[in-house]
Amino acid sequence: MRSIVIRCVPVSRGVSEGEALVSKQPMCLYDSLDPRTGFIVNRRHELYGECASGKILFFPYGIGSSTSAATILEASRCNKAPKAIVNLETEPIITVGALLAQRLYGKTIPIVHRPETDPSDVIEKHDSVRVNADVGLIEVLRRGRSLGGVM
Amino acid sequence: MLDGEYGEGYEIAMSVLAKLGDIYGADRMLRIENVHIDGAAYGWINDSGLELIEKLASSGACFRVPATLNPSSIDFDMWQELKIPSCVANKQLRLANALKRMGGIPTWTCAPYQCGADLRFGQNVAWGESNAVGFANTVVGARTERLGDLADMCAAVVGEYPRFGLYLDENRRGQMLFEVDKVGMESFSSMDYGVLGFHVGSVAGAGVPVVSGMPRKVSNDELKSFCAAAAVGGSVALCHLCGITPEAKTIAEAFHSSAPEEKITIEAGDLEYTRQKLSTGYEEQAEAVCIGCPHCSVQELVQIARLIKGRKVDRNVRFLVFTSRAAKALTREMGIVENIEASGARVIADTCWNFVPLEAKILMTDSVKMAWTSLSKFTSVALGSVERCIDVAVEAKQLG
Repeated sequence: MRSIVIRCVPVSRGVSEGEALVSKQPMCLYDSLDPRTGFIVNRRHELYGECASGKILFFPYGIGSSTSAATILEASRCNKAPKAIVNLETEPIITVGALLAQRLYGKTIPIVHRPETDPSDVIEKHDSVRVNADVGLIEVLRRGRSLGGVM
Repeated sequence: MLDGEYGEGYEIAMSVLAKLGDIYGADRMLRIENVHIDGAAYGWINDSGLELIEKLASSGACFRVPATLNPSSIDFDMWQELKIPSCVANKQLRLANALKRMGGIPTWTCAPYQCGADLRFGQNVAWGESNAVGFANTVVGARTERLGDLADMCAAVVGEYPRFGLYLDENRRGQMLFEVDKVGMESFSSMDYGVLGFHVGSVAGAGVPVVSGMPRKVSNDELKSFCAAAAVGGSVALCHLCGITPEAKTIAEAFHSSAPEEKITIEAGDLEYTRQKLSTGYEEQAEAVCIGCPHCSVQELVQIARLIKGRKVDRNVRFLVFTSRAAKALTREMGIVENIEASGARVIADTCWNFVPLEAKILMTDSVKMAWTSLSKFTSVALGSVERCIDVAVEAKQLG
């Protein structure tokens, strides 16, 4: 497999590895992510029914409610937050949630944005990826089910 | 400032804001005049938010600037009637105590710009609640970023916010031009303004849209509906409305004399398509009808009273009207609350439809924001004008 590495800009520091959950649809975390279960509960979102907990969550940018900050913080407290978040542009609302999770609970949610190419064009659901938000790199470790990979 | 000499609460607030400023390239902290705190409801900020706010309050932190409060999880006078679980009410009461101890102004409304908040053109403020952010930037021309929950509280504790985004002139420049001359807006209801706002927001995303051709007679209530919907259709925090809003006396001013990146002509068919997307229908089977997202103004309550006078809400329908405690107090004195409730409807203050157990599968509302964000709680959500909502609530149903 040709390695896929995408440079990006760190938002919230840390390094995570996990399975990718990818959407091209903007997302309001407040009405989409149930912080107590980690599931996507918004029927109008293409990730409806998926579990974002423990995954590397890709979506272009956040929309809607300012409550999304509290949603990230609560998901983190409940150990149901995504392992990392990748956006084209991360809104400060999401960033604040991650900063507070770090400050209050010592829990890290690496976040990166402004990737050099749109990851949703090359990364698919179930791919195994590493997000290094200390240096600003997204790396595909293994291809997922859709390409007959080893997942 | 970061060494804790002002206490742990101040240190937490300042460190979070300083980091946020670093990430978004702020050159310095900016003095702000006031704050609107979005996360004043236990139902929104949960145990983690309550923990943080109580920690700040007990460390002696207080708000350095006036801070109005968004809706709470309960109507403080009627929560038992509304069947709010007492465990939720108790946590909300703790949260309310901590917020008031720090100096929070108990407005408990998502439309503080209509009751309680002071705003002026060009003023730097720090607001949460997406509809209020949109109204403050767009209609008043005050300057605020879209603050996340708890960041607003940090801003109130510090009295400052990092200078980036919409505090800077260059980021307030319009990007896309939406021409609405062909839509025929003269007879638009507040709901129609919401549909237009949603459409503009969904195309503009996180950008700064400019609308030309909106009738100048548009009311603040209609602009409230427009801003609320633009903030959920995309993440619009500022929209220039040519000839109406203060930073857009002309199209050229809205674009800071540069050319629009894109020009889009909106036609009536586009809005009809959006309206259909927003409404999942079945209005004739609605078991609950909700008005007041964002909270009704005094004028909107007067209008509801006029429309519902002499009519009775169907016994199979719950008709709830949401407003601020200030607007409720004023309209109670005017006899308006009594007139509305004589129909069987209830006027609820301090809180949001989100927190009232409605025990309904099918809902009807005049609010685009509610129609779009409430679907996870209902089988279907129908959207219609206030007039249509009231007709549906009072019509005798052919049930069973």
